Amino acid sequence: MTLNLVATTAIKKAVVLINDLDTSKFPLLLTRILSKLHLKDERTFSEEEEEKLQSSLSLTDGDLELVIHTLEFILHQAAYHTAKPGLLGQQLQQIELEEEKVKVIVDAWKNAAADVVTKLRQRTITPKRLEEINWRLNLQMAQSNKSKMKLPNAMFELKINDEDSEAKEKIRFEMTHDELYSFYNQLETIQKQLDNLG
Amino acid sequence: MSIIQVTGSGGSVHSDRTPFFGGRVPPEISILIKPLSKCDKQTVGKILQLIVSSMEGKPVSPEQFKKISSETLTEDTLTVIYSGLFSLLRRAIRLPLTSLKPEMFKEDMNELQIPAEFQEDIASVVFGARRPRIENEILDSRPRLPKLDQLKWRVDVAISTSVLNRVLEPTILMEMKLSNGKIHSFEVPVSQFHQLRYNVAYVLKEMEDLEKKSILKIQD
Repeated sequence: MTLNLVATTAIKKAVVLINDLDTSKFPLLLTRILSKLHLKDERTFSEEEEEKLQSSLSLTDGDLELVIHTLEFILHQAAYHTAKPGLLGQQLQQIELEEEKVKVIVDAWKNAAADVVTKLRQRTITPKRLEEINWRLNLQMAQSNKSKMKLPNAMFELKINDEDSEAKEKIRFEMTHDELYSFYNQLETIQKQLDNLG
Repeated sequence: MSIIQVTGSGGSVHSDRTPFFGGRVPPEISILIKPLSKCDKQTVGKILQLIVSSMEGKPVSPEQFKKISSETLTEDTLTVIYSGLFSLLRRAIRLPLTSLKPEMFKEDMNELQIPAEFQEDIASVVFGARRPRIENEILDSRPRLPKLDQLKWRVDVAISTSVLNRVLEPTILMEMKLSNGKIHSFEVPVSQFHQLRYNVAYVLKEMEDLEKKSILKIQD
């Protein structure tokens, strides 16, 4: 299954609108859409930007929405299939886009594809992710029931970013030499697994 | 400025060493002596046993306390002796074995006027076979941040997602159980995992260097 654009009614209408657009403004539109393609819940254009676009491209509110959505859809599909520029161009011609516009879209895709696909690869569903690691190495010299000690210990602070609650959790724990060594061994085992994946 | 030397009554301590209990005799120890001299060796042995087991972490119940008291030894007197001996032993164990030697301890006990018949039993708590277990309990009970009790992990490879047909990107999921009961599950991106591994290795190396250095330098 590869990239296959079907000319539905909505797409046919959008193609007509896109073909009528001024080609000078078109590349900027595409670059912006491509830069925001990998984000989850964000709008590509803010409300004010959409109003400005309406006037500069002479489109109504509804038409502008259709144009933006169609372009986003096409590019999402291209990214999903990691389509080669040639194939994308061919599909765009199939839905009867103008030569000029096809060329602009294919060029923009050529430049941005690698970046977009890499960012999409990183996308995950798990809400909590490890963001940052901080540590501190101490030498404990004494405590209330023991004097003249020399006990090294390490403190770790793992900053976890929670997508759902916007809260930043911090996991803090402390380790003696032995505990640190066994933690290190566990991480080495994980690394071996990663290496085996090739 | 004149320096005033304070020595215990009837003491013959080498004047350049502070006794293990500090500059002044603590009040709970000074009131211990009189009731202690009226006790017999067996009772003192039982009290010492109780003190040792509480230092090893086992809680002391009131029944155990009552068992030792009798008509000749009221609970009040027992309390005085118990707290006095506990305080004395706590201060002695505080110092590492390299600092406080058995002869010095004996000298200090003489200065406190601890009856000679009990000195051997008391010294055996500090220098005997039970000492390592007491040391372990002291280390275990020290104030600290939570300990990492258990680390569970798994490596996944995402094959396909709703936005990308061919992903083939590994991710690591970790579940950390801390000694304060909290369980944290989170994902570790591969780049962060490398950071974590690097940092842990770095701290480990620093710690080993530190242990090589400071153990030799700081003399007690």
